Amino acid sequence: MQLRRRSFIKYASLAAAGNLAGMRPFGALNALAATTPDYKALVCIFLYGGNDANNMVIPTDTAGYGRYSSVRTAGGSSIALAQNTLLGLNGVNYGLHPSLPEIQSLYNSGAAALITNVGTLTQPLTKAQYQAGTANPSNLYSHPDQQEEWQNAAASGVTTTGWAGRVSDVLSGSYNTSATIPMVTSVAGDTLFCNGVSTTPVSVSPGNLGGASCSEGSECSARQTAAQSLITFNSGVSLITADDHITSNAYSYAATLTAATKSVTPLTTVFPATGLGAQLKQISQIIQVRAALGVQRQIFFCGIGNFDTHSNQVALQASLLSQISPAMLAFYNSTTEMGIANQVTSFTMSDFARTFQPNSNTGTDHAWGSHHIVFGGAVKGGSLYGTFPSLVLGGTDDSGTNGRWIPSTGSVQYAATLASWFGVPANQLATVFPNIGTFATANLGFV
Amino acid sequence: MLHLRLFRASPKTPSATALLALAFLAGCSGGSTGSGSTPSVTVALSGATTVRLSETTQFAAIVSGSANTAVVWEVNGVAGGSNATGTISSSGLYTAPAAMPGTTSVTVSVVSAASATATATVTESLLNPIAVLSSTTVTQVGSTLSYSIDVIGSNFVSGAVILANGTALTTTYVSSTELQATVNVPSGTTTLTVMVSNPNPGAVNSSALTANLSYVAATPTEAARFLDQTSFGPTAASIAQVQSVGMNAYLMQQFNMPTTVLASIPVSPFPAVCLSSNTAYPCAESEWWTTAITGPDQLRQRVAFALSEMFVVSTQSIPGQAIPQFHNALANDAFGNFATIMKDVTLSPAMGGYLNMMNSAAPAAGQIANENYARENMQLFTIGLYALNQDGTHQLDSMGAPIPSYTQAQVQAFARAYTGWTLANPGGAAVTKFPNNSGDYNDPMVAVAKYHDTTAKTLLNGTVLNAGGTAEQDLDGALGNIFADSNVGPFVCTQLIQHLVTSTPSPAYVSRVAAIFANNGNGVRGDMQAVLRAILMDTEARAGDTNASYNGGHLREPILFMTAMMRALNFTNADPNGAYYNLSNYTTTLGERPYRANSVFNFFPPDYVIPGTTLNAPEFGNENSATSILQLSLADSIVNNKIASFTVDLSNTSALGVMATNPANLTDYLGKVFMHSQMPANMRTTIINAITPLTSNAQRVRVAVYLVITSSQYKIIH
Repeated sequence: MQLRRRSFIKYASLAAAGNLAGMRPFGALNALAATTPDYKALVCIFLYGGNDANNMVIPTDTAGYGRYSSVRTAGGSSIALAQNTLLGLNGVNYGLHPSLPEIQSLYNSGAAALITNVGTLTQPLTKAQYQAGTANPSNLYSHPDQQEEWQNAAASGVTTTGWAGRVSDVLSGSYNTSATIPMVTSVAGDTLFCNGVSTTPVSVSPGNLGGASCSEGSECSARQTAAQSLITFNSGVSLITADDHITSNAYSYAATLTAATKSVTPLTTVFPATGLGAQLKQISQIIQVRAALGVQRQIFFCGIGNFDTHSNQVALQASLLSQISPAMLAFYNSTTEMGIANQVTSFTMSDFARTFQPNSNTGTDHAWGSHHIVFGGAVKGGSLYGTFPSLVLGGTDDSGTNGRWIPSTGSVQYAATLASWFGVPANQLATVFPNIGTFATANLGFV
Repeated sequence: MLHLRLFRASPKTPSATALLALAFLAGCSGGSTGSGSTPSVTVALSGATTVRLSETTQFAAIVSGSANTAVVWEVNGVAGGSNATGTISSSGLYTAPAAMPGTTSVTVSVVSAASATATATVTESLLNPIAVLSSTTVTQVGSTLSYSIDVIGSNFVSGAVILANGTALTTTYVSSTELQATVNVPSGTTTLTVMVSNPNPGAVNSSALTANLSYVAATPTEAARFLDQTSFGPTAASIAQVQSVGMNAYLMQQFNMPTTVLASIPVSPFPAVCLSSNTAYPCAESEWWTTAITGPDQLRQRVAFALSEMFVVSTQSIPGQAIPQFHNALANDAFGNFATIMKDVTLSPAMGGYLNMMNSAAPAAGQIANENYARENMQLFTIGLYALNQDGTHQLDSMGAPIPSYTQAQVQAFARAYTGWTLANPGGAAVTKFPNNSGDYNDPMVAVAKYHDTTAKTLLNGTVLNAGGTAEQDLDGALGNIFADSNVGPFVCTQLIQHLVTSTPSPAYVSRVAAIFANNGNGVRGDMQAVLRAILMDTEARAGDTNASYNGGHLREPILFMTAMMRALNFTNADPNGAYYNLSNYTTTLGERPYRANSVFNFFPPDYVIPGTTLNAPEFGNENSATSILQLSLADSIVNNKIASFTVDLSNTSALGVMATNPANLTDYLGKVFMHSQMPANMRTTIINAITPLTSNAQRVRVAVYLVITSSQYKIIH
């Protein structure tokens, strides 16, 4: 089997160079800003439920595919994808799920990369260490816990902040000094990812950017004034105070976003009419008016659910991947249309991968290390990063016997790489990612 | 001798019988006496010897022995008297002072003009006035048999007592026109006769007023708060009902109320309600909304709703036909035993389809059993991730770390225990196919023996299901093993409290309820009626009845907001097919649609913490700067009668429109129905000030309702 494995050690020198670049930034950046406004955005696309990455990136060489196919076929049924349906990736013996043609094109054009066997870790972990159980992430295989651990990239399971929020905490003083909305925007509700110590996100409902509607004609203004005065009264009840705070922010953000987008010319990029398509379209529109919002750095969160394919996996996953793939390409195209493809980097996260071994109900169960997609003009694409699991049940990559891969790359490294590109200085990385120092590198080099 | 009866014709006036006067003889020349001397001048005085303050009494003087019959009248030696002691006119009309002077009597004298020594005197006793009652207000104190009495009238004297049904009460003297007291009445008392007696001298009962006792078993605040915890929103009528019967009796009524059943949905053809959408879930939603808004079994349905947010299924991945059977099971079991809920949920086609216990076969070589239901049944529905103390806090190991409740190996054992189940056949014919995909969503699943994994399974706390057990035996064994775990009480009760009462129960509150879960007092574990009573009647649940600032409560989630609007404002359905499902479209934008959550983790997670705080407030998982604005828009649609399929009358001539003639009356009514009669004064003033300038009563209604229902004070049920 001819695996193309990119060792991280190979990238250590590049990572160091990146760090150096990060330490001399402001003169250079400001010079650049004179002609090209200094703007960067990160976009997180969360695949809720645990995407079966084992059916997303598949070995295409004979031995590799054979191993894949034989494990995923059992008890008279199979969830293995036919070899001749896999979408080829330039230069590697891996193929993509047939529902991802747009991702294939992004990859093959160099705008997308695949990061393999990434997962929640508090430190690099061998199978022996896993079995000893002293350094394992908490509540492996639990949806909400693993979602949180991907989103917080922290040293322990339970935190009140996510890594986007903490990045914003660190960078809001350097960038966005005249911003009228927070650095972090969610178009998929509030999530841990977005919350920092001093950061709360602006939430936006896709397609509903404006303020509240009012049918009272000339009395609308007076009604709003009265409503807004009510949220200033002290009640003595903590939850009322909390809701007053949220509502107060809502009035403010709605006014800001309405004003910023009022006369903007819509982008011509067409987004698919799906939930994720609408979310990414909304993100594009907000990026489009970045100057009016006074933002130089933005992190966006969007998501799509139902990846928890315990049953009927082949059809369900195909349906879901066929939603994300065109939406991602449309989003990339919109950044090209805006001329900022190199300034926007998008990436997937998900609870976990799924058991390589199928269950008796045409599905798969909760697992661990997974493969993820990163795309954007700045991405060093067209490559697979990380160490692909050996796909051997009970092997050294398997935490047990069902193909729940021990991640070879920590999700915190994945996050730190993105955060470094975004502008978090090397000397601040440990502030954002407390356990990044336990890993060999903080920069995987894919962007 | 002339006897004058000068007392007022009051029957209560005591023996004011007029009487004599004393005749004094007076010599005209130094008092010499003897026959043949100058005839002496004498004065005789007659009149009543008692008079009530402020009242008058007529005295008469007869001068004898002189042609000059003129006299001078004095009070306490002062001609004409004074305000302090009373005044007396030239014709002998005495007017008693308004207030008692230092003594309770005065001396009234008459002196002959003809002879200064010809005088007569009477000691006039002053009596307190008789109290006069004009009105009385009798108000129940809380929901007790105590009533406060407020009497308005005149002539009240310090020391006056209120008599209620003949019993003198400890009375507070407020002023000469107001008295107050509190009385405890025997149960069943319907009227109260109120009189007032001023103190002696001259104590006598006033005439009586009769008040009808409006006995309420709960205050307006208690009733409305209780209904916000036990129904889909208070209405004026339901508040009055709970006021009249009290919270305990209302609970008993509701416990005995039969289940409103959601109709099953035929596969083909669809009912008219969902014919055009050609899918069953709008029919299920329509049934659900109808029942929630109009069903008489409000507590049962409200608890079923809470359970549906714990045992989550979603029509995003199961057919709408599965919902009625599932929901009816939750509603039927809501007042039964928690073990029954567990079993009925487990065998429902809805949960079977959603978490894939349905059609999960014994794994063949190279397969594993589907772990979905096995894991989530423990993690989300019954015991949670960590070992709990009875008060819901984590048990800690020797390192201070929480202790996992189960292992991956146990998940896999339960997964095998749950194998072999598929849909029943319509009509109950034996099932031999596996999977039985053409089966029946209206009945519990059935087992097909050969698809059950019969190997031994090691469950929680060392319990082993021996090899060879049937699917039914293993299911009962597995569910019984979980039900017996000490985590179930604190884990489930915490969430029930959070759904019904408060996001932030104290550990002591959780512990009190979990103790009842463990043992209802008769040795029964999992008695839902006992658990619900413990939750709802706990001091922590009731604290807000008397303290509007009590720091508790929870956010009114979008579905409960919508039902509360429909009920309190009396929306009526206007859809030709009676469809209610359009309501879902309004709540969907806010993150909720009945039985259509995005995942098994419900619309919001139970452990959600509001960013920037330490407040665990589950419903806030849906509350953010986007939904907050959308809810304002929804409120605008509600008050402007723009809810599709529904209509509401908030016009000038509607009940609220008429009320709006007086902005304060309207605002207070809204405060009663929406805010437990606990609207803060500054909020009340703001709303009154906002609507008073509006010239249209209908607009006053719209704006006032909008301001109430969009306020955080309303959104937080507290």
